[in-house]
Amino acid sequence: MSRLLHDMNPSVKFIIVTVSMLTMAFFFNPWTPLLFWVGILALQFTMSRINWKLWALMMLPFTLGAVGYLWTTLVFGADSGGEVIGSFAGIEVTDEQWAHAWSLTFRVMAFSTLSLLFAFTTNPVTFVMSLMQQLKVPPKIAYGTMVGYQFLPVLKDELTQIRQAQRLRGVSQDRHWWQRVAGTRRLLIPMLAGAVRKAERAAFAMEARGFTGERRKEFYRPVRVSGRDYVLAGVFLAVLAVSCAAGLIMGK
Amino acid sequence: MLKSWKLKEIVLMSLFGVVFGIVYLVAIHFGNIWAGLIGPIAYEWMFGIWFIVSILSMAIIRKPGAAVLPETIAAIIEVMLGNAVGPRLILSGVIQGLGAEAAFAATRYRHFNLAVMMLAGAGAAVFSFVYGYFVSGYAALDPSFVLLMFTLRVLSGAIIAGIGGKYLADGLLATGALRGYAISRTKQGGAGA
Amino acid sequence: MHEHVISLADVSFRFPDDPENTLNGLTFEIQRGERVVISGPSGCGKSTLLYLLNRLYPLNCDGIDEGDIHLFGKSADDYRPGEINRRIATVFQDPDSQFCMTTVEEELAFTLENLRVPRADVERRIVDVLDQTGLANFRQSVIQSLSGGQKQRVATACALISEPEILLLDEPLAHLDPLTARNFVQWLDGLQRQTGLTVVAVEHRLDLWERFFEREIVLGLDGQMIADHPSDSKAPVAFPQSATGMTGRPALSVTELSVEISGKQLLAPLSFDVEEGEIAVIAGPNGSGKSTLAKALCGIYKHSGTVRSPGTGYVPQSPEFLFLTNSVADELAFSGLATTETLNDLAERLMLTPIWDAHPFSVSHGQKRRIAIGTMLADNRPVIIMDEPTSGQDTAGLQELFSLINERSREGITFLIITHDMEFAAAVADSILLINDGRLTGKFRAEDVWADPSLLDEHHLLPPRGADRREPTFA
Repeated sequence: MSRLLHDMNPSVKFIIVTVSMLTMAFFFNPWTPLLFWVGILALQFTMSRINWKLWALMMLPFTLGAVGYLWTTLVFGADSGGEVIGSFAGIEVTDEQWAHAWSLTFRVMAFSTLSLLFAFTTNPVTFVMSLMQQLKVPPKIAYGTMVGYQFLPVLKDELTQIRQAQRLRGVSQDRHWWQRVAGTRRLLIPMLAGAVRKAERAAFAMEARGFTGERRKEFYRPVRVSGRDYVLAGVFLAVLAVSCAAGLIMGK
Repeated sequence: MLKSWKLKEIVLMSLFGVVFGIVYLVAIHFGNIWAGLIGPIAYEWMFGIWFIVSILSMAIIRKPGAAVLPETIAAIIEVMLGNAVGPRLILSGVIQGLGAEAAFAATRYRHFNLAVMMLAGAGAAVFSFVYGYFVSGYAALDPSFVLLMFTLRVLSGAIIAGIGGKYLADGLLATGALRGYAISRTKQGGAGA
Repeated sequence: MHEHVISLADVSFRFPDDPENTLNGLTFEIQRGERVVISGPSGCGKSTLLYLLNRLYPLNCDGIDEGDIHLFGKSADDYRPGEINRRIATVFQDPDSQFCMTTVEEELAFTLENLRVPRADVERRIVDVLDQTGLANFRQSVIQSLSGGQKQRVATACALISEPEILLLDEPLAHLDPLTARNFVQWLDGLQRQTGLTVVAVEHRLDLWERFFEREIVLGLDGQMIADHPSDSKAPVAFPQSATGMTGRPALSVTELSVEISGKQLLAPLSFDVEEGEIAVIAGPNGSGKSTLAKALCGIYKHSGTVRSPGTGYVPQSPEFLFLTNSVADELAFSGLATTETLNDLAERLMLTPIWDAHPFSVSHGQKRRIAIGTMLADNRPVIIMDEPTSGQDTAGLQELFSLINERSREGITFLIITHDMEFAAAVADSILLINDGRLTGKFRAEDVWADPSLLDEHHLLPPRGADRREPTFA
């Protein structure tokens, strides 16, 4: 069963991830996001084959972000009553604030893990095809998006060429972030001007092959929703429900 | 709504999304994951970067939807490229896009001057902040701190996205690349019917 | 037998933003199975005409058309959107921007889905077209990983899979090197014989097509038809004869230069010298290291070995990649190295005065190239490397490029020019640097290269036709 998540219908996966996220937003106890996070990790561990080293590397910035959330919530927490349970550097922390801080911290971890689960187990092309087939995203948008995706290597190469050419003209690497933001104009104008030309060519090529943007009834590679997807969705929702319920009880 | 859209306009927005994606990654990327340690406020000032594509596209195409569509497409492409923030981006893309769209809709898609563009940038910031308030649980933070974050984000939207978007649209218009798009038809990019 | 598949009666066309018509009163018919080429200078509206035939226009540009276009005996306006594209297929010029899917198979399936071909039929059609076009081994290939020539074949397969009656070609060779282009034409010739398709092409470099076309329709600059006659094989682009600008003083001296990027050796140690005023062509197969050499010489890539030069500049294939400002004047003054007199002198010599205040992106390709050379000279870089400047150029563009380089060389500027175009090389080059697989085969006198078929063959080059149009002045 180790590749179940990879084979799951991307739209179903997308909806589950979004629903879980929105549900989490209603909980401010630390247990719900913690349990959900652990649950997601368990699902990913048993139902997917991924490069965990890469996963850990990508998780790192989120983990730092979670730490940032923790101290921000402790220092700038809303005054929502509750008992003072400790203080440091002149800032008093109530039990309420303590719980909220951990809740938000675990929420960040749960969201990040959920996002990485999606990113690591979903084929981008299948995802867009599924958005069109299951979620009725109009073909003009779905295929328009596909074109952008195909152009990635071409545009990346173009950016390299432009930066090399501009360096030759004496434009040096800007050191500070504000210089870099301001300096992007020089890169963006040629890139965007090129994109306008390429967009027209690509659109013409598609239309010349009979693409009208009409919805299609048949697909060469249909992306299907099977019974397995419902079962998997059920498993995710069960983990979500259990986390919510357990959080409510333990948070009392 | 899509009926009135030419395919080349949709593909254009999609390529814009890719261009901003890679320029951000390669040229600006702060490469500084430690910023996360500072907490949620660290990124507030640069939120406007994400709204530029909406404002630039609207400035060029000038049709209902020209703010919300590019932001949505850009978000889908980010997800396809394996952005670790994942599918969340799509929903926030739609919401930010709607915020910018609201400003143009309020002026009935008749004015595309700097003021409207800054308003659109601020609109995207407000919508995205309300969404963030809910999803990221800002309710747990001190109201004055939340107000600070909100102010920073709105300023970023108005300045980086509004002024930046206008600046890029004018720059691109001057290159002559936009012949055949609405922006070139109203001879000067400013206000006017 | 004499069935008209396309017929135009007094067709004119105007873009909404333009005061003048792009096409003016065109009347002609094309019969089934004909091979027709529409030729004319850039800007004569030949691509516009093609887009009227496959109905991308007038809708896509809100253009205003007059007159009657009949396709297969029915008025073009009576076809529903997309309907005509089952019967008229098109291959475009840019190999990089005519695909929306990842693999060849997906791209073919995309076309069939558009045409609502029943699923039961899809597999057969894909297999058939891949066999017919000799691309069976490429079915699962990622399109963006293929070469330019291969992409054009895939684009042709995508056009043929709809089983069309007319194939339109929009300068399909523009971005291919001459050898690849010749192979493409031969391949297309076989396909046309096999299928009996009507072929209508827009092209400005007819010499590459040899005897492919039967008929030529020539458009003039004002979009009127100026000739309609049987096509004969064209002489290659003619360049004036000219004496060398070599002064005998050394300009560029390269010793044991090698390039290694992330542990991979891209160029093995190589040495050569180039004289002041010399024009050296750098040639060799795709991926052999020509651009790497260029970028190492001008300092974009790190290298070992020594390069002695009074200052080396670089003009990329898209000259606008160099541009940083909003006017030609600012562009030349950007580095602040040139005095006002130098700038005025450059403006005069490079004919930039009329566009001095224009935006450098908004001028013609030839003018962009002049600006690029101007920026390099303003920065005191009298050795200039040009990367593929001949690619996508029509006759006028090539002749303009020739005089630009030739005049500068006689002012003492040294050129290294990367090109596959041996016609151009034969006209312009004093010497030729041949590169293969990251190694310098050697520096040769141009005539010695043309005289050695095996050398040409090894480096994937076609010999120039009607060679010796330039007197060997240094013999």
